[in-house]
Amino acid sequence: MHTRRKASEAFENEEVLTPHRSKRVQLDINNDDDTILAVPSPSLAADSPSKRKSILRAPGTPSKFNGVIGLDGEATPKSLRKVLFSTPTGKRGVLDKPDLVPDDQGTPVADRNDRSARKKSRQALRIQPLMDEESDGDDAVDEAIAREILEDEEVSDSQDETAADTIEVAAAPDTPSKAPRARGRPKGSKNRARTPTPPPEDLPPHELFFFQNRPGTNKTSAHTLPPNALLNHETYFSKIQECLDGHAEDAERLTRIHARGFEQWAFELDEGFNICLYGYGSKRELALSFAEYLHTQGDESKNAAPKIVVVNGYAPGLTLRDILTTLATAALPKNVPLPAQPAAISELVLSVLTVKPPAQPIYLFINSLDHVSLRKPASIALLARLACHHSISLVATCDSPSFPLLFSTSLAQQFRFAYHDATTFAPYTAELEVVEDVNVLLGRSARRLGGKDGVIFVLRSLPENARSLYKLLVEAQLALGDIVPTLGFAFGGANDDDDEDMIGTEDEDAAMNATPSRKPRRGRPAKNQKATLSKKAAASSPPEGVEYRTLYHQAVEQFVCSSEVGFRTLLKEFHDHRMVESRVDATGTERLLVPFAREELEALLEEDGGL
Amino acid sequence: MLNISTSHRTMEYEKCHLFHPDASRPAKRRRIHPRGLHASWPIRRHAYREAWRAHHDQITSTLNHINSATVSDISQFLLEAHQLSHHSRIPTCLVLGGPHATLQNQITQQLAKLDSRHGPRLFASLSPASSTNLKATLKNLIQSATARVDGIQDEDDELATTQTKGRKLLNYDLQILADFAHERNVGQVVVAFEGTEAFDSALLSELIEILASWRDRIPFVCLFNVATSVDFLQQRLSTAAVKCLDGRLFDVAPSAEVVEQVFSIVTDPSSLLWLGPNLAGMTLERQSDYIQSIDTLVDAVQYAYMSCYYANALSIFLIPNITIKTIPTDHFQALRTLKSFRNHAQEMLQDQQTEQLRNLLDSDEALLSFAQQKIDEGRQNLVQMMIAIDVIRTIQTSLPNVTASSRSNLYVQAMAGTLDESALLRSLLLSVRKAPSDTSIALMRSLVNLNIPKTRLTECKTITTELEQLLQDQTPGAQPLRSADDVKNSTLRTTVVAQKVELSKQKSSLSKQDAAYTALLRRLSDLLERYFDETFIPISQLPFHEIFIYDSKSPHREVLTPRPRHAIERALATPHDYLDCDCCAPDQTNDAALSATQPATAVLYQLYLESGNLINACDLWLAFSAVMGEELEEEMRMALFQRGLAELRFLGLVKGTRKRVDHIAKVAWKGL
Repeated sequence: MHTRRKASEAFENEEVLTPHRSKRVQLDINNDDDTILAVPSPSLAADSPSKRKSILRAPGTPSKFNGVIGLDGEATPKSLRKVLFSTPTGKRGVLDKPDLVPDDQGTPVADRNDRSARKKSRQALRIQPLMDEESDGDDAVDEAIAREILEDEEVSDSQDETAADTIEVAAAPDTPSKAPRARGRPKGSKNRARTPTPPPEDLPPHELFFFQNRPGTNKTSAHTLPPNALLNHETYFSKIQECLDGHAEDAERLTRIHARGFEQWAFELDEGFNICLYGYGSKRELALSFAEYLHTQGDESKNAAPKIVVVNGYAPGLTLRDILTTLATAALPKNVPLPAQPAAISELVLSVLTVKPPAQPIYLFINSLDHVSLRKPASIALLARLACHHSISLVATCDSPSFPLLFSTSLAQQFRFAYHDATTFAPYTAELEVVEDVNVLLGRSARRLGGKDGVIFVLRSLPENARSLYKLLVEAQLALGDIVPTLGFAFGGANDDDDEDMIGTEDEDAAMNATPSRKPRRGRPAKNQKATLSKKAAASSPPEGVEYRTLYHQAVEQFVCSSEVGFRTLLKEFHDHRMVESRVDATGTERLLVPFAREELEALLEEDGGL
Repeated sequence: MLNISTSHRTMEYEKCHLFHPDASRPAKRRRIHPRGLHASWPIRRHAYREAWRAHHDQITSTLNHINSATVSDISQFLLEAHQLSHHSRIPTCLVLGGPHATLQNQITQQLAKLDSRHGPRLFASLSPASSTNLKATLKNLIQSATARVDGIQDEDDELATTQTKGRKLLNYDLQILADFAHERNVGQVVVAFEGTEAFDSALLSELIEILASWRDRIPFVCLFNVATSVDFLQQRLSTAAVKCLDGRLFDVAPSAEVVEQVFSIVTDPSSLLWLGPNLAGMTLERQSDYIQSIDTLVDAVQYAYMSCYYANALSIFLIPNITIKTIPTDHFQALRTLKSFRNHAQEMLQDQQTEQLRNLLDSDEALLSFAQQKIDEGRQNLVQMMIAIDVIRTIQTSLPNVTASSRSNLYVQAMAGTLDESALLRSLLLSVRKAPSDTSIALMRSLVNLNIPKTRLTECKTITTELEQLLQDQTPGAQPLRSADDVKNSTLRTTVVAQKVELSKQKSSLSKQDAAYTALLRRLSDLLERYFDETFIPISQLPFHEIFIYDSKSPHREVLTPRPRHAIERALATPHDYLDCDCCAPDQTNDAALSATQPATAVLYQLYLESGNLINACDLWLAFSAVMGEELEEEMRMALFQRGLAELRFLGLVKGTRKRVDHIAKVAWKGL
């Protein structure tokens, strides 16, 4: 499967490089000659198998080859859809349907015969200037084409795979049986060959693992999330706070059920067991209410509230030392100097507890014991040593499904956990940085400082003149943005408004980021980028970003810096935090750009003013 | 910004803090006084302490003494090591612990308790996990040796001064340890290697060589905990390292033996509470299937005691000599609803003992004494069962070619009621019948020596004396008497009679005495059979067995052997199981339907389950958005989507991938 796909790709590339291209484009624009040519070919092939072979083997006749598929696509448009949506992603495919149904009417047939998405996008680009010349900046037409390209890309992508399958079917050695049969392929036979075998039902999990991991079957679509689809911090928080949880009551009931176990848990702690809570949902609140329970219990029976230390294992930058010093404040009398090493502190604490055991054990609550920051063998071993002391009672919560693997036999023996399923369905509000985590997961702006908030955070730590320089830069960029549209109309060529421009830059970022399959909206191939860039620069003359020189002079005028060296030093800080990007435009001048959308820039200025 | 403002209030973003109850919340000082059956919990708790402490003390002393011989051997060896010159090889103890070598810690601890005549002894234990390279290992060694200053604490100040005026040394320099040892006049530094097999061989060899080179300044002694064999250890070490060691072997008790010893304590005749077959079987199986220390078994038994006394209100009747005043009345009501009591009442009705039954139903006092009597009887039954198990084991050990079953194994079978009429018992009795007289007389004597009080085996004594008489009549030096039931003693004859083959058994050359002996053996085996029949009664027939036999797997399994992965997968795949809400209840038609009412992460997880090992985030979003429906505005859906994704990542179900843009990789397959 793998090699086959590669072969087909190679084939495509070859096609892309063929000099026929220009001719074919003309054909596309002119009309359906190609299809007419293509129609008889399969029947011919069916007549004489030897010929068919030769046709398929001849790489020099791509048009014919394409014709074969074109016909099939034409004859059974239904089947196409089926293939599209019978990808193993199941429901999702079906749900996508409305978006993905190819718009047959608008596309020239030959265009569809082209299997390469890249090619098609290029065609569209080539058409664009023509259109532009004809209709003066007719946005509607432009958009329509863009939409078409987008849709076609999706279709053709899956068709690529289809094509690959077809090749295999056709290239398979012909059956020697000469039984007369209808001309061409029997109806539906291709369908059968093309549909990927549906995943067998009721596979046991391990079989499913091998089924899904078998080589070459990663058929997922090439869709990408639109750049603005993911919410930023602010929107996320406002939305999630608005959001009503339909299960609040049920979750509440779950918590009540868990709370009924408090007495039992306290008993277990008394008997020298430690408690480990696991299950889906944040268990922080539950642990806290258990702490409260222990607190009140202690009040009644022994006239002194027990000492309870709470550790949040998920807190960034948590160190063992933090835990131990907090524990030491609970365990040791005040003003005892603490040694520097964590191991030494723990020895001190443990020896004091052994010599003078307190009336009530110290309760050590560790939320997210299995968090990455506590996973080092040394940390776990130390915590286990603490936990096995009879004057320390540990109540830990664990989130990951396979946390018991963290504890070796001897560690587990030291921990002496009584485990309780404490599924709460509560959101992990404190444990997670949702927006940031998702960005990291999707490989998005991990390189950029978490958006506007991050920038403000950095700016706060910078000297005054650095802040002023950044402000200058942002203002300049915004001002430039205000001019662009008017200029664009004057030139009659720039139909991107400022906002789109920003998106465009983001896409280019991504493209530069060595992710070739992620396509910018315009769908142009990477190697043509320079050319189009310059073309675009010619068309819409003021490019994004502030000219380096201009900014420097402004900065000097405003007494932000006195020399270019100083200016560079300030800029370097911004570069390091990726708050600014510099690029060279077509004319060779260096430009500086703040890589944020206009709204964010405005918000930044507002916040910055408050600094 | 928002986070920071809230964090001051709730401390949830703090790393660590001392807990102070939230003042803003209404003080929850009201302590709910337990009602109903739970009211007796304080009494039961006390009873639990008494009951468990008896066992616990016994177990600890057993465990302490189980290897006392080994420990004293080792300590003797350590003492001898003092006499060796400082330039000799490192004296080394090789402790063969077998695969369950976690006992090592106990031996080290016990050694540490023993006094040394030649100055204090330092102990440093090295674990393979923290010994990744030589520097780290040496650092650990020094830290661990110098940290344990329990015995010599008062010299702390002195230590501080000498260290400050000394040179500045790197923390992995053994000179630190040498100075330390010199100052304190340390007699020996014992380096214990936990899990020797897990150490890197090169590292271990190098370390040994270094220790040997320091031996003239630091009196090192090594203690290897060997799980496999000494040969294997020697193979792994370099020749130079092996030359540095002067080893001696020490054996520790095999873990199966330890398990049996602990188990026999648990089934001590004085036990108030007995473990039922399911629970005991499960615990023992876990102990033998996994490499676990004996503490696991002890914990399991303790937890059984805890659960019984905590959750079973009727365990109050286990308290010896409890008076009626201390028992709340509703407990008697509960006692009357017990299934075994009802069965017993039925039997009483059939036996026309209506008046007694009436009395039991009306009078708490009568019921109490009845229950106490029956519980005592039931326990006696179990004690008899244990004796019968000993009888079986005695027979097994007396017979040749039969391996003795473990006590714990037989216990589980006996409690489950499968031992009676089991293949094991039948074949055992058969072999008894076949045994020659020299075997059987030994068997009978050991049975008589078992000294079973008021047992049904009194007849055994008479049989023994009869057999002894029979043997006395025999001429000295003659062959032992043979049993007619043994196939070896009869020959098969085939005769052709009227064209039919006839098989006939011929009792070949069996004397009269043999016949008498055979009769005796038959009597014995019949007697044993009857005895086993009477003793191994199903526990469910014992009245009030619910009270003195604890046999619930339920909290036990979840608490000691959790399945967190299963729990999380279940919560996400079928949230209804946990939430028990009306909205997400599965239909009869298709049991796992996605619906917008389910929690967002659960919806996302179920979509995740349907996909392959690479997931397109955009498609996932579209599908998710479609499931959630249009009622929610798009940004809200996106917020939920993002939260769900972040949670899946947090749980370790997905990770980012570089293979394709906007794709995530599936990491966990449900049900694995």
